[in-house]
Amino acid sequence: MTGPQQRQGRRLTSGAIDFSFNGTRYKARAGDTVAAALIANGVRLIGRSVKARRRRGILTAGPEEPNALLTVVCGRELIPNVAATQLIVTEGLEVRSQNTWPSPDFDLASVLQLGGGVFSAGFYYKTFFWPSWKAYEPLIRRLAGLGPAPRSSSLPPPLVEHLSCDVLVAGAGPAGLFAARTAARTGATVVVCEREPFAGGELEFETATLEGLPAADWIRATLAELTRLDVRLLTDTTVVGSNGKQFVAHCEPGGIPCRSTVYKIRTRQFTIAMGAVERPMVFAENDLPGVMLLGAAERYLARYGVAVGRDVVICTNHNRAYAAAARLSAGGMRIRMVVDSRSDRDIRDPTARTQRDALIRSGVECRSGYFVAAATGRTEVRGAEIVTHSGSALRHTVTCDCILTSSGWTPALHAATQSGGEKSYASEIAAFVPGKQPHNRLCIGAAQGTFELGEICNDAHGDPAPELIPFWRAKTARSQEKRQYVDFQNDVTVADLRVAMEEGFTDIEHAKRYTALGFGTDQGRLGGTNGAAILAELQNRPVAEVGTSRLRAPYQPMTLRSLAGVRSGTQLRVTRLTPLHEWHVDHGAVMESTGLWQRPRCYARDAGASPAVAYAEARRVRERGGVSDASTLGKIEICGPDAGAFLDYVYLTRASTLPVGRSRYGVNLREDGMVLDDGLILRLAADRFRVTTSTGHAEHMLSHFEFWRATAWSSAKLAITDVTDAWSTIAIAGPDSRDTLLKMVDAQAQATVAALKHMEFTHASYNGVPVVILRATFSGELGFEIHCPPELAVALWQTLVGGGLQPYGLEAMDVLRIEKGYLTHAEISGQTTPYDLGMQSLTRREGDFVGRDLLARPAFHEESRPRLVGLRARDGQGRRFLGGAQIVQPARSDIARGYITSSTFSPTLGEWVGLGLVARAIKEGEEVLARDPVRNAETVLRVTPSIHFDPTGQRMRQ
Amino acid sequence: MSHLHCPFCGERELREFEFRKTLPGTSASPVARVYLRQEEQDISIEHWQHLEGCRGWLRVVRNPFTGRILQTTLLPEPAP
Repeated sequence: MTGPQQRQGRRLTSGAIDFSFNGTRYKARAGDTVAAALIANGVRLIGRSVKARRRRGILTAGPEEPNALLTVVCGRELIPNVAATQLIVTEGLEVRSQNTWPSPDFDLASVLQLGGGVFSAGFYYKTFFWPSWKAYEPLIRRLAGLGPAPRSSSLPPPLVEHLSCDVLVAGAGPAGLFAARTAARTGATVVVCEREPFAGGELEFETATLEGLPAADWIRATLAELTRLDVRLLTDTTVVGSNGKQFVAHCEPGGIPCRSTVYKIRTRQFTIAMGAVERPMVFAENDLPGVMLLGAAERYLARYGVAVGRDVVICTNHNRAYAAAARLSAGGMRIRMVVDSRSDRDIRDPTARTQRDALIRSGVECRSGYFVAAATGRTEVRGAEIVTHSGSALRHTVTCDCILTSSGWTPALHAATQSGGEKSYASEIAAFVPGKQPHNRLCIGAAQGTFELGEICNDAHGDPAPELIPFWRAKTARSQEKRQYVDFQNDVTVADLRVAMEEGFTDIEHAKRYTALGFGTDQGRLGGTNGAAILAELQNRPVAEVGTSRLRAPYQPMTLRSLAGVRSGTQLRVTRLTPLHEWHVDHGAVMESTGLWQRPRCYARDAGASPAVAYAEARRVRERGGVSDASTLGKIEICGPDAGAFLDYVYLTRASTLPVGRSRYGVNLREDGMVLDDGLILRLAADRFRVTTSTGHAEHMLSHFEFWRATAWSSAKLAITDVTDAWSTIAIAGPDSRDTLLKMVDAQAQATVAALKHMEFTHASYNGVPVVILRATFSGELGFEIHCPPELAVALWQTLVGGGLQPYGLEAMDVLRIEKGYLTHAEISGQTTPYDLGMQSLTRREGDFVGRDLLARPAFHEESRPRLVGLRARDGQGRRFLGGAQIVQPARSDIARGYITSSTFSPTLGEWVGLGLVARAIKEGEEVLARDPVRNAETVLRVTPSIHFDPTGQRMRQ
Repeated sequence: MSHLHCPFCGERELREFEFRKTLPGTSASPVARVYLRQEEQDISIEHWQHLEGCRGWLRVVRNPFTGRILQTTLLPEPAP
C-alpha cells in the first residue's frame, strides 16, 4: 500500500488507467473500484434515488451499497445495477448513472419533488383508487425500478462448478481464517469463500496483533498454512444461499456479472463467518453526498489510499470510532469533531479512554452527549448541525465536507436465519444475532455478534470493546422526520415508518411491504435494524419484540443468468437430431420440434411451409412412393426367457404367441385402464423382442418397463435395453416402394424381401451391413420400415431417394394417417380407453396385464363414453373444419357430445376429412354440428367410419 | 429434501430423479391402488427412478412433514 493521499490531489502518473463515468473521462489506479476511483477524482454525485430522486453519493465500500448502482456498458450490452463499490476499473470501462435524466446534476424528475413528497408510504395503495390508476401509471412506470433491464444478452453463461467438503467457511476475516485453520489441522477438507478479492476482513485497517504477529503478517502466515493444508480459498465469492444441503456460492471477479462462476457446494459443516454490516446514523439529510459509513472511509484509505474528505465530522455511539479517527487523521484527513451520543462516563474501557485522550491532545475536538441533528448543504455536505440530548439550546453547525457515521454493526444474519436457524436480540450490541442453529451450522466472530478479536483467539489484541449504547435516530422536530432516511435504496424515511404505524401496519413484515423498507438489492442490511428499532420506538415496544423482516436468499444480487447456469437458451434441454438431420436441412426441410427431437415438417424448399407442399407430398406417396425419417420412434429390446411373458404383462396385446419373424400392433395401458401408447412388437428370436414406441413417449415407456421389471417382475429372467439410438428407422411407403427396396438390398435377400407379407420382417444386408426390413405401414400403402445402423442411414436414404421415392415430412404423414384412421397422441390422449378407440378385438380376457382390473370397470362400457369416428362435411360441401371443435347434435346444440381430434384436407379424396371422439349414442350417418367458438366457425358434418380411405386395406396387402 | 441417496450411485441432487408414485397399503383394492393416495403426515412410501444416473428404481420412505428421508432401497429388494 502506498501512502494515503488527498482526494483530488492523488497524482497518477504511470500505470494510470482510463475509464468514463457519464461520458466524462477519469483516471484510476489498477485495482481501484469505480467507487474508490470516483472519490479520488472528487466525484460525489453518483446518481439519484429511486423514488424521491434525491442526490446520492457513495455510502459504503461493500456489496451493501444502496446508492451507487451503475449501468456498465459492455460492448453493445448494458448491464444494469452493478455496485460501484464492487466493480473494479478496467481500461476503457464505461459506466453510467441510473434513475437520472438528462443528467444526475440536473434531473427533470426531481422537479416533481418540489411540491412535497409524492411517494410517501403506501403511495401505490392510496393512489390506485383515486382518481384512477391510469392517471398515475405512465408516471410510475417511468420512475419505478432500478436500471433498465437489458432486452437481450449475448454474454457467455456462467461456469458451474460442484464442490464437496467437510467444512465450508463463509468469510475469510479473522474468525473465518481461524475456523478454517482449526478444521484443516484436524485433516478435514475445507473450502473458504471470501467475497472480497483477498482474505483479512476488518484486519485490513484494524490495528491488531494476533499470536504475536502484526495483522498483515498473521494473515500471510495463516494463508500459507492453509495452502499447505490444501484448503481451497475462493475469493470474490459470496455464499448467497442454500437449500439445506447444498450451498450456492457466486463468484464475480471484478464485480461484473459477465464472467461469473457459480459453485454448488456440498458440505458436512457450515461455518458462518460473514462478519457484520455497519449501521448508518439516522438524522435529517443523512443521505446527502458526503455522508458515509465510518468503516467505508477506513477501507477507502487502507485499501485504495483514498481520503473520502478533507474536513471530517465523525458521529458515533461506540468506542471504535476513536481508533478509527486516529487512523483517518494519520491518513491526512482533518478530523473536525468526534460526536459521541454517549455521556462521558459511559466510556469505561481504558484503551478507548486512552485513545480518546490522545485524540484530544492532538487537537481533535471530542464531544460526548452530543449527536448530529442534520447535515447541512444543498448539493452535498457543507456542515453538521450538532445538538445535545437536553435540547436544541446548544445547537450549532460544524463546517465539514464529510460526515462519517457509525451506530454499531448488524451481524450478517442472512445465512444464519435460513433453513431453520433462529435469531435473538442482543441488547449489549443492539442488534439481532443468530440464535439456535441446526446441528451442522455454526456462527462465529462478528457474524455471531462477537466484535473483539480477543474472544475469537486467545492471543489477539485489536480495537477495544465497543461499549455501544443504542442511538437509533436524532430525535428532533417532527418536521425533520421526512428527511431522516432509514432505507436509502427505497427512500424510506422515519416519516414513512410513522405513517405505516399510524395506519395500522405495526408488524414489521406489514411495515416492510407498506413502505418498502428492506426491499431491493441491499435487502435491509443497512436499514433493517434501524427500521425495526424506530418502529419499536414509535410504538413503545421493545426492539426484540418487533424483530426484523425475514431475510431472503440470495444474500447478494445475482443475475438470472447466473441462477440458470448453463441451463438456458438452447442449453435448457438437449436437442436430439437424427443422423439424417443435415440431409433434411440441406434439402429444404422446414424443421419442427417434437419433444426433444427435430423432425422435418415438410420439404418446402423456398416455397415456404404452405399446406399445399404437404398435400403434394402425400399425393405422391399414394401415387408413386415416399420415404420418411422415423428414427425418432423409441426402440426397446427385451431379452431373456421371460421376455414374452413380461411383454404380455405390460401390453394389452399378446406378445408371447407371436412367431419369430412376425410383428404385431401393440397397445400399452396405464394402470387406470386408459391407453398409454401404441407401437409395434417384433419377435427377433424366441427370447428376444424389439418394441417400438411413439416419439414423444419413448423415454417414459422405457421407465415404465423398468418400473415393472423392478417391482412385479423382479425375479424374472429378462433384460431391458434402450436401442433407440442404435437403430435409425427409415419408412418407405407407396406402390413403388417394394421395387425401389429390392433394387437396393443385396442379391441373396431379394427373394425373402419380395415375399414379405404384411407385418413380417426379415434380416437383410445393405452393402454388407445388417439391416432389419419390416413390412408395415402408417399410411395404408404398401410400406416398409428399415432399421439400420445410424452410420448407414444417410447412404440408405440417398439410395431410396435416388430410386424415385419422395421425401415426406410430418405434415404429409398426418394427412396419410388421418385418411386411414390411424391413431396418434391426438386420439391416445390419456383419456381414452381401448374400447373408445375401437380396439375391442385386441383386448383379451385371460392373463394379468397392467390396467386389467380397472379396464373391467362398468363405466368404460357406458353409452356416455366416446367412440372414435370419422367425420366429413355434409355431402357435396367439402368444407373445412379443424381439430378442437366441439361436436353437438343439431337438436340439442347446447350439449357437447364430443370433439374433433384431428382433421386434414385429403388430397386423395378431394375434401376435408377428420377423426373425432363422439358419444356412442350418435350413430354412423348422423349429421352433427362442429362448433368452433374460438375460431368462430360452425360446420355441418356427417359421422362416418373412422377409415376414410381404402377401408378394406387392399393397398397395404398388395 | 434436496438430495436422495441412491444406494448404487451415492448421494445425488433431486433433479436427477423422477417421482413415480406413492405406494398404498398392500391390502388396497385395485381402484384404491390407482386413485387413492397415501397421505400421512409422518410417513410416505414412494417410488423414484434415478433417471440421470443408474436408472435404478428406488423405494424411498420419507417423512413429508420434515422432509427427512428415512430409508432408500434399490429395487428389487433382496429377498429376506
